[in-house]
Amino acid sequence: MKRRAFVNRSLGVAVLGGTMPLAFANAALAQAAPLTAGSADPDNVLVVIQLAGGNDGLNTVVPYSDDAYHRARPVIGIDPKTVLRINDRIGFNPALAGLDDLFKSGQVALIQGVGYPNPNRSHFEATEIWETASPDRPQQYGWIGRYLDRRYPNGTKPPSPFETVALGDTLPAAMVSAHVDVPAIGALGAFSYNTGHDLASKQSAGALYDGAKGGGSPYLAMIADAAREAYHGGDALRAKIAGYTAQATYPTDGFSQQLKLAAQLIGSNAGTRIIFVSLGSFDTHAGQRAQQDRLLGYLGNGLRAFYTDLAAHGNAKRVLAMTFSEFGRRVTQNASNGTDHGTCMPLFVVGGSVKGGVYGDHPSLTDLDNGDLKFATDFRSVYATVLQAWLGRNPADVIAGSFPTLPIV
Amino acid sequence: MDVSTKLDTSTDPQVGYRPAGTLDAASALAPYAGHFGPRQAAHLLRRAGFGGTPADIAAFTQLDAQRAVDALFHASDPDGTFADYPPELGTLTSAQYGQRKTAVQLWWLDRMLRTRRQLAEKMTLVWHNHFATAVSKSPPEMMAEQIDLFRLQGLGNFRTLLASVTRDPAMLVWLDNRYNTKQHPNENYAREVMELFTLGLGNYTETDVKEGARAFTGWALKDGQPLFRPALHDDGPKTFLGRTGNFDADDAIDIIVQQPIHQRFISRKLLEVFVYSDPEPELIEAVASVYALSGYDLAKTVGAIIRSNVFYSTRAYRAEPKSPIEFAIGTLRTIGATSIPPNLPGVLARMGQEPLNPPTVKGWDGGPAWINTSTMLARFNFVNALIATNTTASKTAPNVNPDLLVKTAGGFDAPRIVDELVTATLQDDVTGDVRETLVAYLDGTTAAAATQNPNLQAFGPENYQEKIRGVVALTLNLPVNQLN
Repeated sequence: MKRRAFVNRSLGVAVLGGTMPLAFANAALAQAAPLTAGSADPDNVLVVIQLAGGNDGLNTVVPYSDDAYHRARPVIGIDPKTVLRINDRIGFNPALAGLDDLFKSGQVALIQGVGYPNPNRSHFEATEIWETASPDRPQQYGWIGRYLDRRYPNGTKPPSPFETVALGDTLPAAMVSAHVDVPAIGALGAFSYNTGHDLASKQSAGALYDGAKGGGSPYLAMIADAAREAYHGGDALRAKIAGYTAQATYPTDGFSQQLKLAAQLIGSNAGTRIIFVSLGSFDTHAGQRAQQDRLLGYLGNGLRAFYTDLAAHGNAKRVLAMTFSEFGRRVTQNASNGTDHGTCMPLFVVGGSVKGGVYGDHPSLTDLDNGDLKFATDFRSVYATVLQAWLGRNPADVIAGSFPTLPIV
Repeated sequence: MDVSTKLDTSTDPQVGYRPAGTLDAASALAPYAGHFGPRQAAHLLRRAGFGGTPADIAAFTQLDAQRAVDALFHASDPDGTFADYPPELGTLTSAQYGQRKTAVQLWWLDRMLRTRRQLAEKMTLVWHNHFATAVSKSPPEMMAEQIDLFRLQGLGNFRTLLASVTRDPAMLVWLDNRYNTKQHPNENYAREVMELFTLGLGNYTETDVKEGARAFTGWALKDGQPLFRPALHDDGPKTFLGRTGNFDADDAIDIIVQQPIHQRFISRKLLEVFVYSDPEPELIEAVASVYALSGYDLAKTVGAIIRSNVFYSTRAYRAEPKSPIEFAIGTLRTIGATSIPPNLPGVLARMGQEPLNPPTVKGWDGGPAWINTSTMLARFNFVNALIATNTTASKTAPNVNPDLLVKTAGGFDAPRIVDELVTATLQDDVTGDVRETLVAYLDGTTAAAATQNPNLQAFGPENYQEKIRGVVALTLNLPVNQLN
């Protein structure tokens, strides 16, 4: 945030401030535009799933009938007999049985060969490119952050402080916004003002933050505002989601448990509309099969439990989940039975409202660019589709350039 | 929490040297010779270190501003106080990446907490953020070496520092310069050196990047140590930033530091670190002049800044948000902790600043980016856990003694205890409303207290320790204590 933008914001806070925590005051509701416009349903929920580290696409959606695949991957290639077949050319990694079930029930759009021109192979830079939707020049705010900034102009605030949440300890670059404070919730227990048993201390803290005012530093109003929301936030969240019971058995891994919390937020009156979840450690330079298969198992089984739970609560049709990873990996396995940083990869869009099926052709394994796959669909087309068809926002408001949308929703 | 109205300039006239936006360029960088009380001493210790212990602040108030800075520069630790390299690294296996990372983080955080060489350690953090290298790519052992490099050279000569950073193993890995060869140039380091480390975007051309990359070729890594391989170095003529010659890495660095735009770039950076964001152009020019005339001497440049009138101005005083590391280490120093809580690296990540792991090569954004609901909650709960944990004699807990902050001689006189506490921790930078709330908490006269067992709530010998810990936590979590 530039200082000037920040000072404007803090002035806004000072004017609107009062003693109530802003985000919890219903008065703020009236000033906000509808979350979505056009044909998009305002109850639509977007779940963005990051596969961090660079997920190997060729062992996720396997071109099992292509000899070039088996030649390039004599050790880590997946046996065609075990592949979960989608058609006579491609199939899912057997670890993705959960996702395969969702695919068979028509709830998964598989978009092949997603990437962008002049691909970057640095984790940080490529992640920043995907999260800011800006391959050509650095952007300060993420693509979701920019969406929020367009959605909440002129000091307006989301109707719920939990409308957009990152499930994790730190805020992803995708959700960095100039004006909207997106909470990062690692675990419910940690998202709480904890003073142990001393209730008087906690209530005195509340009195201090509710009474806090801006002072000499231009930052003090902003800190006081965040302090109030932090103090009240955990209790408010727990109150909102109390009473929700999961209607599915989630796997015990951390990712699946975060999806469980996501379903709880969606199924309660927390007003949650955008959620970011991250599943890590896809950087499989060595011993890839065991590691990637384990992670894909979390992904597939977690998503199957998630949609089972959502469906039982009548929410499956209003929740759209999409995956991304900073890059795919090279076609040819390396000397350590792993793969190094590559280019494009398949991307999944999942949900009860998705037009399931396979979109685009699998990238050629023989027509390569320096040993790497050539991309077919620009990732910004997927973002543009989600923005327009699911969130009801003109993609041009958020993403520089013009990208065709896909008929997946 | 209105600091500006609370500050009593009639008794403390030198905080308030100038209002914002009225820089007197002629005197801004002149040595400050005014009143040097607890506010000024604490301000200096926060900015040029990780915050003063109450004893540090008391000792500094016996000096004047110039002698206090002398003391910061001449501070030393007894031999053997600290290991130059985390000893645990020798016993951990290569597969234990997470433990190795944590070992280096705790080794460094402990130094921040306990060293008397606070300014040198602060500069170590400044350069870690400036030459932002991350353990996500560069191994923990190399990160430890890089941190020690910043510690040794962080107040030396910038030209020498940059030459050392260019050969630093963690940096050779981080920005891929180990792969930059005559045969296959890699522009990553050359670009970031100019964009982020020395000149800033727009002050060089793409040709400068290409030609600079050629000058930086030939630095490889062998067994984790830098090695110059002449066969991989491009010793042909280059045209770089308007000069032509058979430049190598050190030549390129010499050319860079001679650029007036570099002198302003680094001066702005140091002013933002020590004084305030968005420093006035004439202030930047004044510092750049000190920097250039001193031959890029960082001790002289930093010294001029932290000795100056503008350093003690209202515009600087408690003007910027504390970074998470400044907040956490400062809190520990304030309460007299003598060791780092083992979970601190993870707590700092939740606050938004995991040491050794800046989010990008640009470092941490800082300023307003430190402040949001989640990071504030992480700060509050850090303090709450720290104060509460120490009610039990946990072996992992730091040695915390809230009695350092309030004298038991005050007995159960709540207003007096609150006065002592806000004086010791916040130099009285709180409003009357805040004092009243803190007093009501101690006296058990809050609305919350009335709903509980009154026997537990009235201030007395049976709950003295708990109440003191509670009021210390409330005070350290005040919004004003988030300001540096």
